[in-house]
Amino acid sequence: MADKKKMSVADILALARSGKAGAEKQAPPKVASKAKGTASSQSAKKTAAKKTAAQAKGAGAKGAVAEGAATGKAKAKPSAAVSAPRDTASILAAARKSTRPGPVSKAEAASQSKLQQDSGASSQAAKAKQKLIVPPMPARPAYVTRAMDKASVGSVDRRKGVNRGKGAGKGKGGKGKSGVDDDLRTFLAIGFIALGGVLTLWTLATVRFMFPNVLREPPSKFKVGSRDGFSAGQVQTKYKAQYGIWVVNTQYHGEQQLVALKSVCTHLGCTPNWLEAEQKFKCPCHGSGYYKDGINFEGPAPRPLERYAIQIADDGQVEIDKSRTFQEEMGEWGDPACFIPV
Amino acid sequence: MTHGITDAQFFVMVSSFLGPFYLMLALTNGVAALYLWQTGQSKTWFRSPAIAGQRVAITNVLAWLALAILFVLLAGFSSSGNGHWMPALPEAWREAINQSTGPVVYSAGTTALLVLLYLFRSFFVKPAVAWSILNLMFLMLGLSMTDRDFYEIVAKPDNVPIVMLIFLLAFFTWLATHRAVENDRRMERGEPPLEKLDNEKVLVWPDLVYIELICMIALVAFLIFWAIALPAPLEEPASSVKTPNPSKAPWYFLGLQEMLVYFDPWMAGIVLPVLVVVGLMAIPYLDFNKAGNGYYTIKERRFSYLVFQFGFLEMWITLIVLGTLLRGPNWNFFGPYEHWDAHKVQALSNINLSDYFWESWLGRSLPIAAAGSGMLEKIGTILVRELPGIVMVLGYFIMLPPLMALTVFRKFYMRMGFIRYMVMANLLLFMASLPIKMILRWVLNLKYLIAIPEYFLNF
Repeated sequence: MADKKKMSVADILALARSGKAGAEKQAPPKVASKAKGTASSQSAKKTAAKKTAAQAKGAGAKGAVAEGAATGKAKAKPSAAVSAPRDTASILAAARKSTRPGPVSKAEAASQSKLQQDSGASSQAAKAKQKLIVPPMPARPAYVTRAMDKASVGSVDRRKGVNRGKGAGKGKGGKGKSGVDDDLRTFLAIGFIALGGVLTLWTLATVRFMFPNVLREPPSKFKVGSRDGFSAGQVQTKYKAQYGIWVVNTQYHGEQQLVALKSVCTHLGCTPNWLEAEQKFKCPCHGSGYYKDGINFEGPAPRPLERYAIQIADDGQVEIDKSRTFQEEMGEWGDPACFIPV
Repeated sequence: MTHGITDAQFFVMVSSFLGPFYLMLALTNGVAALYLWQTGQSKTWFRSPAIAGQRVAITNVLAWLALAILFVLLAGFSSSGNGHWMPALPEAWREAINQSTGPVVYSAGTTALLVLLYLFRSFFVKPAVAWSILNLMFLMLGLSMTDRDFYEIVAKPDNVPIVMLIFLLAFFTWLATHRAVENDRRMERGEPPLEKLDNEKVLVWPDLVYIELICMIALVAFLIFWAIALPAPLEEPASSVKTPNPSKAPWYFLGLQEMLVYFDPWMAGIVLPVLVVVGLMAIPYLDFNKAGNGYYTIKERRFSYLVFQFGFLEMWITLIVLGTLLRGPNWNFFGPYEHWDAHKVQALSNINLSDYFWESWLGRSLPIAAAGSGMLEKIGTILVRELPGIVMVLGYFIMLPPLMALTVFRKFYMRMGFIRYMVMANLLLFMASLPIKMILRWVLNLKYLIAIPEYFLNF
């Protein structure tokens, strides 16, 4: 019995009541009396319950209420009072375990098992009897009943007030019956207007936040001076900080070209550094390396650096357009827009 | 951190750490000796040769006491702050260690070490052996601290947690393995595991809650002390065009960053991490071995143990340690005592499998779609170009699981059924793909098996 899994209060009650029905099936003559019992008054129920609890001694000890109720009925005198539905307190009391819940130390466990062996069923029954004595609930005093009535009336009133307040807002009804209603209505009106105002402001602020008052990028077209400023084999790094480019004068497929390389690693987007001594671009994040012309050769970078559009402007200066990129692996480096032949 | 100070100043700085450090070690060993002696656990290891007709029994108490005295002496010398007196590793040793280490030696070495620790675990978990190893680790740390380059890396506030992690991990691995070995031994004799003996329950309130409260307070105190002692390392303002060199992820992601060296970003940054999480979530559903529930054991869960230790210790922790302590500027590998030279040149030229296949083996250029050809033709050419890699990768993931089911994992397949087995096999293969890719990179300089940069598909 003790190893039955834990049940909620509702379960226990349901089980106790259905167990009763089961017991009834075993003893069919009592069906009528049970029906009578359910209809009986509150006080009658209580006394009946007390009796039942006292009778359910044999099995109630370890918590199987249904069984307890059933056996109690089966063994005890089959009276009308027994089959009457019992109140919650007595059922729960019968369901409670006789042992203390929670963890048990070794010493406790040993003593308990010994106790069980010694005393056996009789002592358990005695314990159960002790446990099952539940004092009757005193009748509810008059002032409590009155207070409860008042409270319920008040709540109904208040709800009405709210309804009326809304109606008044639409211009349907007139003034409230009492001053309380008026106060409430004003309060609600102020509250909702304030809430609406705050929400509107908040929404506007969010919209404004989406358009910050900054220019995030330098102009996509810019000039980097005359073509003569870039000697053969030179990697000009001074535009990297501002524009994110290297201007490189190098050979590509045997042609000397002036190109603008985008300073973003094609592996994961870090900014590589130009190492003059080793004549390569090297990424500090995962060690990708590129030749001077931007072709990847070491580390995990899967493709060459990208080129930006470059041309000679009307005034003879080199002009770079960052709005267009050219990728070698797509065969775009043949496009005359991405290099200036030197 | 030590820039702009002379060697003498540096030694004074280090001595302020090393003195208390060695004293702490001496104290720990002394307390250990006292504890063993008082609880009557002293054991005679061997008897010394006769000195003046007396053979002295060398017990563990005596050994730890001697070690404590040695540490006291070291503390004295270290506190001097004089470079000539401070105990340090010989220059030749450090040079040899620098020369011999590299990604290959490091990874292969840690793997070999793990295998050794596994095979001879019943020896390594003996308290005396484990205690000696722990002392040796601390001693190595202390001796290495006088090296400026080593100090620079280890004492960086960012890296201090990694050093703590190494020691903590060693301790907890020992603890679990020790209990597992003991349990395996007990179960061989038909006795219940240790955890089953101690089944006395304690109350949540107050026992557990009090312990938790005390732990909480101690931890907060430790964190406050840490925050005061090692200020957070703030760097220059961020700039989208300037990446610090080396640029490192938070320490717990350094394993991933190391993976990124060998894989394409979408693979090492998205697919593999997601598979790690999914795989960990799938373990309860894949595991059919009911043994080992509630107690430590290795023998009853050999496969799970090995896979987990490999995945965690080898693929995660050692890569974090590698990424934190041994990767320097330009993500080059630097030995523990090597100066972080931003201009260190390492030959790392990598070649795709398609280049190998078409150019080296077939002796012709890569197939390229004619200029102006249609989309379909371009894709077709790319697929032909990458055919060897595609065949290899598909073969790896499609052919291997059935083959393994027929051979090594026959029993697993019978117990798990088709779907569970396939999930497990594919997760295993994905895990194995990282070391395989690392080895291919080291041995063949292979960049990618499938390289389709046109569509960001590289494997």
